Amino acid sequence: MHSLYEIETTIKRSSRAEGLSWGVSEETGKAVRMLEQSEFQGLESFRRLIGLGLNNLNKLLDVDQSNTRNLCPIHFGIFFLDQSHNKELHRTYNFKNINEPLLIVPFLSKSAKKNLLYFHLKSPDLNFTITPGGIYFINQNFFPKNLTDFSLTISTNRKSKYTQSSWDYLYKLSLDTFVEETEEKKISGAGAGLTDND
Amino acid sequence: MQIDLRKPELVMKLDRLGSFHQSKLSFLRSFIREFKNWEFTTEKFALDKQGFGHIVYVVNNGQKQYSLICFSNHIEDSERSDRVIATKWDASFVLFDGVPTEEDIERLNDNVPLQEQGRVSEKELCLSRANKSVRVFEHVVDKLSKGEQPNTKLLYDVGYLYRTTAVYGSGKFGLADRIKIQNREELKGPFRLEMMLVYLARQFTFDVVNHVAYSRSPNKAVKLKEDIARNLGIGNSTGLGMAPFIVNHPALLNQWIIAKEKALKAIRSISSVSQKDKNIFQSYLSIIRENIKFWKTESDFQKKKNKQLLKDLSIFQKFYSTFPLNKFFWNSIYEWTEANTQSECCEFIISLMMEVYPDIVEPLSFEMSINEDEYFDIDTSRTIKEVCELIEDQYTWLLDINFDDKENILNFWYYSKNKQEPRMSDRFTEEGSDLELPLAIARDVSALYDDLKSCNLEKDLGYYLLKNQEYRHILRRVLICEKLPYSEIQDNTISKTLIPVDMLRLKLSFFGATRFDPRSDRWVRITMYQGAPLMREISKSDDTWSYKKIA
Repeated sequence: MHSLYEIETTIKRSSRAEGLSWGVSEETGKAVRMLEQSEFQGLESFRRLIGLGLNNLNKLLDVDQSNTRNLCPIHFGIFFLDQSHNKELHRTYNFKNINEPLLIVPFLSKSAKKNLLYFHLKSPDLNFTITPGGIYFINQNFFPKNLTDFSLTISTNRKSKYTQSSWDYLYKLSLDTFVEETEEKKISGAGAGLTDND
Repeated sequence: MQIDLRKPELVMKLDRLGSFHQSKLSFLRSFIREFKNWEFTTEKFALDKQGFGHIVYVVNNGQKQYSLICFSNHIEDSERSDRVIATKWDASFVLFDGVPTEEDIERLNDNVPLQEQGRVSEKELCLSRANKSVRVFEHVVDKLSKGEQPNTKLLYDVGYLYRTTAVYGSGKFGLADRIKIQNREELKGPFRLEMMLVYLARQFTFDVVNHVAYSRSPNKAVKLKEDIARNLGIGNSTGLGMAPFIVNHPALLNQWIIAKEKALKAIRSISSVSQKDKNIFQSYLSIIRENIKFWKTESDFQKKKNKQLLKDLSIFQKFYSTFPLNKFFWNSIYEWTEANTQSECCEFIISLMMEVYPDIVEPLSFEMSINEDEYFDIDTSRTIKEVCELIEDQYTWLLDINFDDKENILNFWYYSKNKQEPRMSDRFTEEGSDLELPLAIARDVSALYDDLKSCNLEKDLGYYLLKNQEYRHILRRVLICEKLPYSEIQDNTISKTLIPVDMLRLKLSFFGATRFDPRSDRWVRITMYQGAPLMREISKSDDTWSYKKIA
């Protein structure tokens, strides 16, 4: 089990290693952290996303852009995080397709809270609503009118929602933001001696 | 009279920040104030005759317990290094949430001595390690085993028996995340758990020497006198790893600085000062001038600073002795000190002034934490023009720096692949600057400013970021600095003239460190808890222990 701190920093560094800016990498680290804290498979989703190659994905830079196929969820999420204070954008848009849609949820959630907005996503496979109140409805039409024989478990224990191999892969990738140390750097970079028997 | 907070452009310069001293706001002192009424006990003592094994200390208030598990291991002299590249240590520590079971101790025994290479769980809160001061440890054990007390001159010259080399918390290596404990009343002040770990580790150092001396000679051995032990702290050896923290946590830095500045403002605003208060200040000043003689260092840089401090304090003393108790006495004292002494002395006097007024200063220690996430999001409805004005107002100091000049961009900060610790190197002679960490704040704000000026100033940041995400991290900082004016070090952190040890000193002074002993421009040894009450007498602490005479 990894701490949320470890998840956030590893995703931030992996994002940077994949070419995202530091600022966007910081946002991505926090987004995956939020998903994992909520027991969604954020880390697995991010791993699949970079497997597609971030450079191969289409960035959303304008709601009216003609090509909305193969969208990157991080840039999609950041677009609405950054732009949705603008009331002219408050309407319905149609997009062709987006990869790993789970990753847009933290961004829309932040934007909903910040700008008091409601995001309703509809597709043949998935419907959800994100509200400023922080309560999400996923496939709400499937909610039955009443429940029988149900249980409710309350716990402080977060469950890991990713495999060790996904963690190892991303952790290794995150190391690509680190600098290999030469013998010279070991001495000069940190500025100390090598033994301390005084 | 209206007294203002000191301006960030004065306080946030690195040579000023690198002259800060411990004070009533320091975290190790606020830890003792917070926990002095808890019960401190030795739960388990399992050391062999050589002093290897483990000890468990428990801190308990009847409802909540924290335990420090100390592992003591044999290492060869050749393996003893304070560097983060070390892989073995004389002692390793883990702070446990509650009281550990035997299974917990067994699990931790397999992992804690490995430090970064081991794994801990969310039951654990902090992790650390320490090495013996070989010359002092052997001397003390030898003398005690012969029934004698050690040479106090040697002891006080060093100041400790062991020195720690890193203290980790907040989710590192699997430790509990900060969110798990942030709402606990007793942990409202910053770094409370880290300070608890270090305090208990100090007790461990005394228990080990007493135990080993007794094991060597059960019939002759005596215990280390408590008066001597009390004058020993625990050492710490800190390298560059600590420096980026204060750049990476601007909101937290603001809280630390503003607490000090509010205290100073409140004291300077006292219109009528009593002779008693003036005398209290004088008594602390007299003692600490004596104690400074124990600040030993081989560093020319620090020797010069200490010498200047003693010289300035001598001048100050003459002034203070004759200056009458006029209205706004402390304001006059501060203004004279600022005008007539160097930063080192000025900040020293401010710390001393704070000692006289616990009712003003101590409550401020509860304002030194902050929820950094509240300052993370960028308000993209702000206009480009507004941000340009913010930079012109808050970052005036960097607008004239020429970042085409090699000397102004000489260094780059990076993470070492080997130890995952921050490092700094010359970008023109070393490989790796393409993986530079975003710590070149001055250079990046300057670049952002130049870019913004070339845009349509009436457009908002949402528009700007569509095509300029490379500036997102620095834009975030500018907006944080608008709300939190003491969040930014006002110096170029990549210039040739940077003295990284100033960044370490800033953080360590807030921890409560004393006896700064730089071993280079990027590595420093310090002492913590020197003079502090021992574990069994902590309940009697009146928070004046920092100003008790040594020897």
